[in-house]
Amino acid sequence: MKKIFQSSGFRELLRVFIAVAVALALGFIVTMLVSEDPVGAYKSFLFGPVSKLNRFGDWIEESITLIFLGLAVVVVFKAELFSLGQEGQMVLGALVAGSIALFVPLPAYFLIPLAILGAMLAGFLWGLIPGYLKAYLNANEIVSTLMLNFIALKIYEWLLTNSIKPEDAGYTASDTFPVEGTMSSFIPPLPFLSEIRTLFMNQTNISIALYLMVIATIVVYYLMYHTPFGYELRMVGANIKFARYGGVNTKRTILLAMAVSGIFAGLAGAHVASGVHRKLILNITFGLGFEGIVVAILARNNPLLIPITGLAYGYLRAGANVMERTSDVSREMVLVIQGIIILLVTAERLMPMIQERIKVRRTQRNDIPPADTGVTPTEGGD
Amino acid sequence: MPFDVVLGGILSPLFIASILRISTPIILPALGGLISDLAGVINIALEGIMLVSAFTGVIVSAYTGSVWIGVLAGIVVGMLYSLLLALFHLYLNTDIILAGIALNIMAQGGTIFLLFILTGDKGNTSSLASGAVPTITIPFIENIPWLGTILSGHNLFTYLAFLFTWLVSILLYKTPLGTHLRAVGENPVAAETVGINVRRTKTIAIALSGFFASLGGLSLSMAYLTLFQNAMTNGRGFIALAAVFLGGRTPWGTTIASIIFGFADALSNQLGSLAIPPQWVQMIPYVATVLALVIYSIRRQAKQRERLRRFQEGEVKSSGAAEAGTD
Amino acid sequence: MTPLIDMRDIVKVYPNGVVANEGVDLSVEKGEIHALVGENGAGKTTLMKILYGLEQPTGGEIIFREQALEVRSPHDAIDQGIGMVHQNFMLIPSFTVAENIALGEEPTKRGLIRKRKAVQEVEELSAQYGLRVDANAVVDSINVGMRQRVEILKTLYRGAEILILDEPTAVLTPQETEELFNAIRSLVNQGKTVIFITHKLREVLEISDRVTVMRAGKVVGTLPTSEVTREGLASMMVGREVLLTVDKPHKERGEPVLIVNDLSYVSGDTGRQVIKHISFNVYAGEILGVAGVEGNGQTELVEVLTGLRQATTGTAHIDSKDILNTGPRNVRMAGVAHIPEDRLTNGLALLGTIEENLIVDRYFRAPFKKGISIDRKAVTELSDKLIKEYDIRTINGQVQVMSLSGGNMQKVIVAREFSSDPKLLIAAQPTRGIDVGATEFVRQQLVLKRTEGTAVLLVSADLSEVMSLSDRIIVMYEGEITGVFPDAASLTEEEIGLYMLGIKHQEVEDMEVVL
Repeated sequence: MKKIFQSSGFRELLRVFIAVAVALALGFIVTMLVSEDPVGAYKSFLFGPVSKLNRFGDWIEESITLIFLGLAVVVVFKAELFSLGQEGQMVLGALVAGSIALFVPLPAYFLIPLAILGAMLAGFLWGLIPGYLKAYLNANEIVSTLMLNFIALKIYEWLLTNSIKPEDAGYTASDTFPVEGTMSSFIPPLPFLSEIRTLFMNQTNISIALYLMVIATIVVYYLMYHTPFGYELRMVGANIKFARYGGVNTKRTILLAMAVSGIFAGLAGAHVASGVHRKLILNITFGLGFEGIVVAILARNNPLLIPITGLAYGYLRAGANVMERTSDVSREMVLVIQGIIILLVTAERLMPMIQERIKVRRTQRNDIPPADTGVTPTEGGD
Repeated sequence: MPFDVVLGGILSPLFIASILRISTPIILPALGGLISDLAGVINIALEGIMLVSAFTGVIVSAYTGSVWIGVLAGIVVGMLYSLLLALFHLYLNTDIILAGIALNIMAQGGTIFLLFILTGDKGNTSSLASGAVPTITIPFIENIPWLGTILSGHNLFTYLAFLFTWLVSILLYKTPLGTHLRAVGENPVAAETVGINVRRTKTIAIALSGFFASLGGLSLSMAYLTLFQNAMTNGRGFIALAAVFLGGRTPWGTTIASIIFGFADALSNQLGSLAIPPQWVQMIPYVATVLALVIYSIRRQAKQRERLRRFQEGEVKSSGAAEAGTD
Repeated sequence: MTPLIDMRDIVKVYPNGVVANEGVDLSVEKGEIHALVGENGAGKTTLMKILYGLEQPTGGEIIFREQALEVRSPHDAIDQGIGMVHQNFMLIPSFTVAENIALGEEPTKRGLIRKRKAVQEVEELSAQYGLRVDANAVVDSINVGMRQRVEILKTLYRGAEILILDEPTAVLTPQETEELFNAIRSLVNQGKTVIFITHKLREVLEISDRVTVMRAGKVVGTLPTSEVTREGLASMMVGREVLLTVDKPHKERGEPVLIVNDLSYVSGDTGRQVIKHISFNVYAGEILGVAGVEGNGQTELVEVLTGLRQATTGTAHIDSKDILNTGPRNVRMAGVAHIPEDRLTNGLALLGTIEENLIVDRYFRAPFKKGISIDRKAVTELSDKLIKEYDIRTINGQVQVMSLSGGNMQKVIVAREFSSDPKLLIAAQPTRGIDVGATEFVRQQLVLKRTEGTAVLLVSADLSEVMSLSDRIIVMYEGEITGVFPDAASLTEEEIGLYMLGIKHQEVEDMEVVL
């Protein structure tokens, strides 16, 4: 039992826990300062998402999107690649899924799977580009993925405004997808479930994406820890020189890591298009790309923890929405809480044990030593 | 509308002046991004700092009734906010990208949160009477035809943008501080061995980058527009970073690249009437940045290969003579 | 005459127990060129790092200009007029020569750098001491010789009166070395004092006034250069009893496994030819030892043979297939295993588990790859087996490698590389920096493999190790093979030392017979 408490995994979890608790406490203090009814406001923040079915639905739906994005981030971050391209991959995934849903005349059994596959392919290809640039040209992946995000958003905007939006529409959005093109409810259409099904369908948009999310989590986990590709990816992330020395084709691994990550971001896009909104609107991905990064950070890049952190993070967002609707506190407070959580969780100096990992990383990357240590590393001999 | 009319519109002095105006809130944060990138501490949080300063300036100027106190407050608060980046990255060992993302998220949320509390409105601060930094007409120049419209009558921030470009280039290439900043970014170990305090230098770089980002934010909310709007930076903090790379990481290059982005933005509005979708024009600078990245990388690799080839040719030529020489 | 610098009874013990300096006395006169010689690991660089403030002595004192001196950091040393030029240059590639030299001490007027003044000062210094540089050239584009002169000028710019040069000629061509020596003479003529760390005896005789020989952390002696010969120096540096006795059963060697022909390597960074058209074979069932002081091309040789570097010319055949320039995976698939010189950087992923580190060369093959996935059970089985076989002290294979001791880390590498059943095993500095027990173990394992029929290429700067383990020995000096000894057992260290230090060189025809 003692070993569990001393293990690094537990301490990481503890650190996340503490960070969240501290941030929530700070949030409450702020709420007290600004609200006429701070307790009421914070209550609706903390309990809102489970108070009503439609709020519950919002929570689950948004969490599913965040989980797909978090999985995408885990794939690249585990390879020590700072790809920020999830938003672009997601929006193109949404575009392809939506276009297929709207314009391809196929029965439901084919249409939705096709839309989903199309979204995955779109994300894959959009991740392939910066992957190639990084792997073979050593081009900075932060800049390239940020640029490709913008480009993808512009492409989406253009197609939506010029081709997809119906001529007579008042605002920029597509038609609602035909039913065959939307993800059906997660409750199967069995006779004895029909009442619950109708209830959920009326109040929420929780769809089969829920199962996709579970599958995706298992797939990413399996991929990372049980396949040769995942092994290569993790070794490239752990020490790229070691990977090369051992014979791994590091360039191909980097290329594929970025592309595979795009698959899951594309899935997130398919979800927002065909599951949540059921049509294409402007700003369909609004800012969610970076939130995926937060989910991954909180899960310490462990794919199995992504559903948990995704749901937790989604809960914060949903709670903030409820709080805004029912009190005088605006939901943006949760963004401040999120920022504090990120800073506390990632400030490695705040948990001394993590210092070892930093030192190790620095030796293995021939990095600069931390500023307050001596310049030349000491070693025995000569 | 016929093509030549649109073309005339593009080449008109008003349009060119508008490019300079639109580019200003890109040039300023880009200068900040340049300084921090050259010092090895890439500042992803430019967007957040801009929001913080834009907001602070408006609020303070509205409540104190003074434009200049508002501007000062905006700069100070923006710089303090950027120092959080220094604190978490340099002293608490947070990864700089993650810290930057956190600061952006907090700024996004915090500004709207406070906006709502102070004005009861989540859209903007139009209910507040915040100040405007003046536009400047240059007495003699304003009367020159064509050029006069382009050069005179801009807001102070626009002139500052170009003035600071010049000053930043002096700072970086002609002062010890700037030289140390560049040294620290390129080879911190070497810098340390000659007595340069790397951590302090990087902190200064981040503070300077916060300064310019703050000016950028203020140029949005206290110049032509005199209010703070929800998410009014609209990605300019990231465009600024792209401009740094597109411009080859030099001050004038960055400014020119920023103007390219501004140009694309302005142009996209004009061309709407020509049935060229504005998004295609807006996309151009981003595509250009990716291409620039590719070109720089290819050139770097080619240079290395060239050098290796030169050495090997030298080796082959002299290998006949190299047999001697051991004893 | 009282010495300018008097280091007395200097002791340096590192936290891991390594004794780098043991009661070292060094006195340096003003205006002399003092050579400090010794093999790798003799302690000479440590001693100089102590003088320069990069290391703190565990015991002893430094008397400088007749006063006790504490050097806590390089800044203290620089303040006292002591400058050091390291083997790794500390330059900013995109800055000019003048900018690099003046970095941190730029002349200013009203806050702006006076570029012309800096250039002028640099040019004056350069002319005064005969250190030819182009003050306006960008460092990235100048050659190594000039970069070194920039480093020297850096110390002079900061008022150095005493210059410590650490293996300065290691990266220079012969012509550049001559230039450097002229500059050193010029410096000394103008009152500077130079301490010159080297293992190249020819240079000691050419340039120094006095020489101090160190061996295994102690000073063997200090003599005027006029009174020594290279042979004499060599025997002071190298002579010691061979402490190791390794049980080496007789083994007839088999067919050649590795056939290297006309191998060259030119460095892409410095342009220096590091390996000069060498050819040799490694036979099955033998340990071929590569003796030589570090820095004579051995590191690059290993990297070229294992696919980590591109060879410039030549071939290396295993089973009639040329393994050069094909990448690490192909080299491994050809049956080569590699114990790397730098185990932390290349040989291990410290953040990975023992299991993960053990399978990097075989995770894509059966039995570890089953279908599309990795068979974790097979991996754990392998790891348990190897942990037992190689006596790796750990709880289990899921432990992160970084928590192991140095010796156990090396055992992980050895376990992996040996268990891949290679035809050719390349071991570079296999026992460096690990404890005695692990060292014994690794050496025994190497001999075992050789007796089983594997071809072993052993590169080691530890001469006694090379001599006691190898069947045949080749000596590398300045990128060439200068000696081949088919019967290692009959050699003395002094004899090999002469070849390692470039004093003797076998005839090419004689060598070809036994290569």
